[in-house]
Amino acid sequence: MSATAYLIGVSALCAAAVLGAILPAGQRLLGAALLSAVGCLAALAGSGEVLVSGHPFAMHSAEVLPLTGVDVSLDPLGALFVAITAIVGLAVSWYSIGYGAHPHASRTTTAVLPAFLATLLLVPAASSVATFMAAWELMALTSLLGLLGEHRRRPETRDAAQWYAVMTHIGAAAILFGLVLLGAHAGGQSFAAIAAHRRELSMPLRSAVFVITLAGFASKAGAVPLHVWLPRAHPEAPSPVSALMSGAMVNLGVYGILRVGEVLLGGGELWWWLLVASLGVTSAFFGALHAAASTDLKRLLAYSTVDNVGLVLIGVGAAGALQCDGDRLLAGLALVATLFHLANHALFKSGLFLAAGAIQHSTATRDLDRLGGLARRMPVTAVLFGIGALSISAVPGSNGFASEWLLFEGLLQGIASRSAVTQAALLAGVAALAITGGLTATAFVKAIGVGFLGQPRTQAAREAKDVAPSMLAGMGILAVACVTLGVVPGVALPVLERAAAGGLAGGAPHALRPGIGIELAAARGAIDPALVVVGLLAAFILAGSAVRFAPRPAQLRHPRRGEVWGCGRELQTARMEITATSFAEPLQRVFADVLRPDHDLEVTHASESRYFPEAISFHQRIDDAIERLVYRPVIAAVVSWGRLARRIPNGSVHRYLAFGFAALLLVLVVLR
Amino acid sequence: MRRIPVLDALFPRRVTEVSPGRSKTTTPRFPGSLQLRHVDAGSCNGCEVEITQVFAPVCDAGRFGIRLVASPRHADGLLVTGVVTKNMAAPLTKTLEAVPRPRVVVACGDCAVGDGVFSKGYGVAGSVSDVVPVDLEIRGCPPEPTAITEALRVLTGR
Repeated sequence: MSATAYLIGVSALCAAAVLGAILPAGQRLLGAALLSAVGCLAALAGSGEVLVSGHPFAMHSAEVLPLTGVDVSLDPLGALFVAITAIVGLAVSWYSIGYGAHPHASRTTTAVLPAFLATLLLVPAASSVATFMAAWELMALTSLLGLLGEHRRRPETRDAAQWYAVMTHIGAAAILFGLVLLGAHAGGQSFAAIAAHRRELSMPLRSAVFVITLAGFASKAGAVPLHVWLPRAHPEAPSPVSALMSGAMVNLGVYGILRVGEVLLGGGELWWWLLVASLGVTSAFFGALHAAASTDLKRLLAYSTVDNVGLVLIGVGAAGALQCDGDRLLAGLALVATLFHLANHALFKSGLFLAAGAIQHSTATRDLDRLGGLARRMPVTAVLFGIGALSISAVPGSNGFASEWLLFEGLLQGIASRSAVTQAALLAGVAALAITGGLTATAFVKAIGVGFLGQPRTQAAREAKDVAPSMLAGMGILAVACVTLGVVPGVALPVLERAAAGGLAGGAPHALRPGIGIELAAARGAIDPALVVVGLLAAFILAGSAVRFAPRPAQLRHPRRGEVWGCGRELQTARMEITATSFAEPLQRVFADVLRPDHDLEVTHASESRYFPEAISFHQRIDDAIERLVYRPVIAAVVSWGRLARRIPNGSVHRYLAFGFAALLLVLVVLR
Repeated sequence: MRRIPVLDALFPRRVTEVSPGRSKTTTPRFPGSLQLRHVDAGSCNGCEVEITQVFAPVCDAGRFGIRLVASPRHADGLLVTGVVTKNMAAPLTKTLEAVPRPRVVVACGDCAVGDGVFSKGYGVAGSVSDVVPVDLEIRGCPPEPTAITEALRVLTGR
C-alpha cells in the first residue's frame, strides 16, 4: 500500500514534468502544478504510512537502469525525509501557479520544478549505490536547471550556477568514490548487503569512506567551509526552486551523513562525530553572523540556512558521539531533537523563501534597503513572513522554539555522558546554539523592521500589492504546519522517534513520553507549548481589554496625533529611516574580524569650502571570508596552471613527437 | 552675585525684570519639577552663556527641580532664546508640537521677548510670541543667571 502510494507520487511528478514541457502556455502552469500537488500528497501518504506503521517496503526493478537495476526501499529514516519534501513540495506546487504567471515565465522552470521534486523524493528511497548516485546526480542536474530557469542571462545567476555546478559535482564525485570503495569491499552495491558486511571492513577503510562521503554530503548540506555555492545559488534561483533547495535539498546532505555514517558504517568512531559537530558549530556561527549582516533578503535567508544546517549537524554529531559512548537513550534524544529541528527548518525556511519570492514578485527587488512599509501593502504576506520569522527566531509557541528547546535539552542531558571529549563538544554545541539564537533574532528583527515596517523607500515598494491567492495558499500551508508543530509538537514526536531509531546504528529506546507537549522519559524535563500559547493569548486578551475598557482620564480619551519627532527638520523622508545596513553596523563592527567588510566612502566638497560636502557616496560589500581566503587562491592557482599548460602544445609536430617518445619511454621504464 | 563697580560703569547693564507673562494664577504650574528643552531660535549665544551658568554650581537650578533635557518628548516646555529667524520659525513650531501637554513656553532674553538689538534684522520672522504663544518672559540682554533662575522658580514653586 505504502509502496503503491509512493510510486504513484513519483510517477505523478514525472508526468507533471512532461505536462509542463508539452502543454500550451495557458494550461501549462495549472496542469503541472495540480499534478505535482497530487504527486506530493501521494508520496506523503506513502511515507506517512511507513512512518506510522514502522513497516518499510523494498522494490527492485531491473528494467529502468541497465546493468544494476533500480533498488527502491523506504524505511522510517528515509520516509521522514520523503514526508518533509512532500509537504514542502505541496506548498511549492500551489505557489508556483501564481508565481509562474508573469510574462518572462519559461517552459523550462515549469517542467523542471516537478522533476526536481521527483528526484528529491527518490534520493531518500534509493537503496543501492547505483540508484542513489543516479538519483543524486539527477537531483543536481534538475536543481541546476531550475536555478538557471528564470534569469539565465543575468551574470550573477550564471556565476551562481557555475559555483553550484562545480561544488555539487565535486561533492558528487566524492560521494561516488566513497560509496564505490565501500561497495567494492563489502561485496555488493545494495545498501542491505553493505550494512550486513560492515563488520568485515577494517576501521581505517570505514573512516576513509566516512570522511570522503562526509565531504560530499557536507557540500550539499551547505556546511562551512563547503557552503560557498549556497549564498549565491539560493538568492539567484527562482523562489520555488530556492524554497525546495533550502527546505528539502540541503536536508538530503544530512540524510546522507546519517545513512552512510550510522546505517551503512555502523556508527564508527567518536572522532567522526566530533568532526561532524565541529562542522556544525562553525556553520552555525558563520551562517548566523552573515545572516545578521546581509541586506539582501534572500541572501539573508540563504545564510540562515547555513546556520540551521549547522545546528542540525551539531545534533547529528552529538547523537553519533553519544552512541559511540554507548549511551543509546541520550543519543536517541539528541537525534529526535535534530530531526525535529530539521523538519521545522524545512517548513519555516521554505515558507520564508516563498514570502521573499512574493516580495520580489511584487516589487522586483529583494534588497531590504529598497523596501519598507510592506506590512500595510502586503498584509497577508507580512503575516505569513512574520510566522516564519517568529518560528526561526524560536519564539515560545513556535515550532522553532519546540525543536530548539529539545535540542538544548538533548545536548545538556548529554553532558552526563562518560567521555570528557564528548562533554566538551556538547558544551561547544550549546554555546553555538545560544549565540546563533541571538544572531538569528537580530537578522529577522532587521528583515521585518526594515522590510515590512516604516515608510516605503522606493516607488516599487510604495506600489507593492499582495500576490495571487495561489501563492498565498502555498505559503499558508507551511505557516499552518509551523503553527501546528509549535503548539502541539507532541503529535510529530512518535514519528520522529521511529525515524531516529532507524537512523542510529543500534536503534534507540524511547526517549520521550507520548503526549501533545514534549516530555523526556529518562530525565526530568517537560514543556507544553499549548499551555504557553493559551497563557500568552489569555494575557494578551486581558491586557488588551484592560486597555480598551478601563476608565481613563479625559485628556487621554482623544489622543493627539502628531508628526514623528525629527529634530524639528522641515522635510522628513523615508531616506532618513534606519536601513538594514545601519541596523547591522554595530554587529558588523564587533565581528569585523570574521566578516571583513569593505567600505568605500567618497565625499565631494563644494568648490568654495571643504566644510560643505556636495555629495557623499557610501558603498559596502561583505564578501564571504572563506571564499576569499580559501577558494580564490585555489581558483587562481588552477587558472595559472591552466595558462602554464597552454604553453606546452605550441603547434610544433616535433615537440608532440618528442612527448610521445618520452611517454613511451616512461611506460617502458615503469613496466620494465 | 558680586558686582564689580568698574565693570558696571564700563558696560552698563539694563535692569533685569521678570514678568510672569500671562500666567495668571499664583500657584506654580509645574510644582517641584520642570524639564525644559532649549531652542536657539536665532540667538547671538549671549543668552546661552548665561543659561549655562544657570545650571552651573553658583545658581544650580537643579536644586529647584529645573533641568534641561535632550528631547521635547521628555520636556514640559521650551526655553527659547534669540529672535526667531525665518529659518527657525518652522522648527520652533514643530518642536513645540512635539512637547506633550500641559506645556509652557519661556522666552528668555530681550530678543526673544521682542525688543532686542537684532529684532529689526533682515532675516527675522519676529519675536517668540509672534510664532508660538509665550507663557513667561525673561528680560535682559543677556538676562543674568540669577534672573533666569528666579523666573523659572516661579514655575516650579520651589
